[in-house]
Amino acid sequence: MIVQSRSSRIIRTVVGWTVVAIFAFPLYYWLTVAFKEGNEIFNWPPKVWSFSPTVKNFEEVFGISLGFDFGTKQEVLPGGGDFRMGPRLWDSIVIAVFSTALAVSIATLAGYALSRMNFRGRHHFVAWVLSTRMMPPVAVAIPVFFIYKDIALLDTYTGVILIHALMNLPLAVLLMKSFFDDIPKEIDESALVDGASRWLIFRRIVLPMVKGGMSATAVLCFIFSWTEFLFVLTLTQTGLKTVPVVSSTFVTSTGTAWGNMAALGAAAMIPAFIFIMLVQKHLVRGLTLGSVKQ
Amino acid sequence: MKLGVLSADRPLVWMLPLIAMLVAFTIIPLFYNIWLSFHEYAPFKRRLEFVGWENWRLLFSDVRMWEALWTTMFYFGVVLTVELVLGMAIALLLDAEEFGFGVLRTVLTMTLVVPPAIVGMMFLLIEDPEFGVLTFVLDSLGILDKSTPILATGSTALWGVMLADIWQWTPFMVLIFLAGLRSLPPEPYEAAMLDGASPVMTFRRITLPLMSKVIAVAVLIRGIDVFRMFDYVFVMTSGGPGTSTYTLSLYSWQQTFSFIKWGYGATLSLFTLVIILVIANLFIWLAKVRW
Repeated sequence: MIVQSRSSRIIRTVVGWTVVAIFAFPLYYWLTVAFKEGNEIFNWPPKVWSFSPTVKNFEEVFGISLGFDFGTKQEVLPGGGDFRMGPRLWDSIVIAVFSTALAVSIATLAGYALSRMNFRGRHHFVAWVLSTRMMPPVAVAIPVFFIYKDIALLDTYTGVILIHALMNLPLAVLLMKSFFDDIPKEIDESALVDGASRWLIFRRIVLPMVKGGMSATAVLCFIFSWTEFLFVLTLTQTGLKTVPVVSSTFVTSTGTAWGNMAALGAAAMIPAFIFIMLVQKHLVRGLTLGSVKQ
Repeated sequence: MKLGVLSADRPLVWMLPLIAMLVAFTIIPLFYNIWLSFHEYAPFKRRLEFVGWENWRLLFSDVRMWEALWTTMFYFGVVLTVELVLGMAIALLLDAEEFGFGVLRTVLTMTLVVPPAIVGMMFLLIEDPEFGVLTFVLDSLGILDKSTPILATGSTALWGVMLADIWQWTPFMVLIFLAGLRSLPPEPYEAAMLDGASPVMTFRRITLPLMSKVIAVAVLIRGIDVFRMFDYVFVMTSGGPGTSTYTLSLYSWQQTFSFIKWGYGATLSLFTLVIILVIANLFIWLAKVRW
């Protein structure tokens, strides 16, 4: 390690804190808006530190919906103006949970085969999966919109869940493959020699060893589904909407409901923050589709 | 040993669900899109009509498409470069155990989990001409007058959008580079120190070459996402003012769903797809990225 002087260490500490403070500022400011009354949001100069906090925005977005029956479906009112977001949070949760479960299950099976079995064209297969990650969402959303219209999947949970699962598959498959690659192949091979079947080895020996990897993959899939915008925007109409898409309807012709939007946005970030903290150990590996290990 | 069709010894059995999903949601839509690009919706007859190569001819003569392509390329170049350079600088800065640096690295991960559409809203608010914080700062510093709205002025709108992207994804680069920096072997640095190499020389001759694989992967993944960017422009400017912030993704989406030009929208999205595939695969080949 390079020995540094005391003064250079102090400079480094100060610069580091300043840079991160600049990055944290938009989040902080968004949070203050969530707790501000309308007139304080529109203040010039903008109120950054001193304002009288209120939970009115949260009450408007969630208060009414606290006693709301999540089971019944409530339609999205066109043109905004409806700030009860309970049903929209529910939509987001259903879609994120089910698409994650689907993507991780498919990816675990495929990842095992890609990591453990030798077959012709394996390299090409990985390239195909990777190239799916390159497809621009519009190039998928446009044809899928018309196909969904024909087979009545437009504006349904199933339709969005399937497309979110697809969107996460390249990440999930490559990531699961890299977690399987971490486990020595000799374990499988010796069990095979002992006469155990592939499926038994997978279920009883290998699967328990990649649990951590599976939960890391699941968290990333959940977050990408939770934050996805274009597919939900295109493939839903009035039946359901996730939080990011419904936020954009807060911009109405009579003005933007910044306070409500910030309250909803802030609340929607909380589950994602918590989840990402849980998998910090595998975060970089996940973000790089399994190719950079920490 | 007898192999049944559904025997677990066959790799295909394990990958069947994946293949089914990929065929259903990438191969079939791709062919549907190609089919669509040779048709156009006729509003008065309320049906799709075969138009031959018309959409493809239109594509190459469409001034707006060339503008959108240029905007996309410019956005791609600037955002990727800034995120790469800034990301590396911040990673080098935070690669130490000074007071609270662990907390700082954690704080940086937070930007990554905010929905990009909501980041767009955040920056819409921050750059608002009436009460935005950034407007206030720039106005006070005399850089940009309050009477010039950042997102409603042709010359500044795209920069306003870029700022949201850079804010959200520079930490992505920082985290990846930090992981890369931490896995570097100490020996070359000890040798460099004995030789009295300057920090700049050490970075250029040792850190960069050893980090090249990590950098290539980060640039590839970020590059793909930057090129197909949609959320920020859709939320912040919808392509405006005028056509100054139209990206290829937004332009094809709007042609399809706002202007009911289904065939032309499909053609534009295919064109976007082809460009991404060419650039990304060229990069993978040149940088020798392996999975």
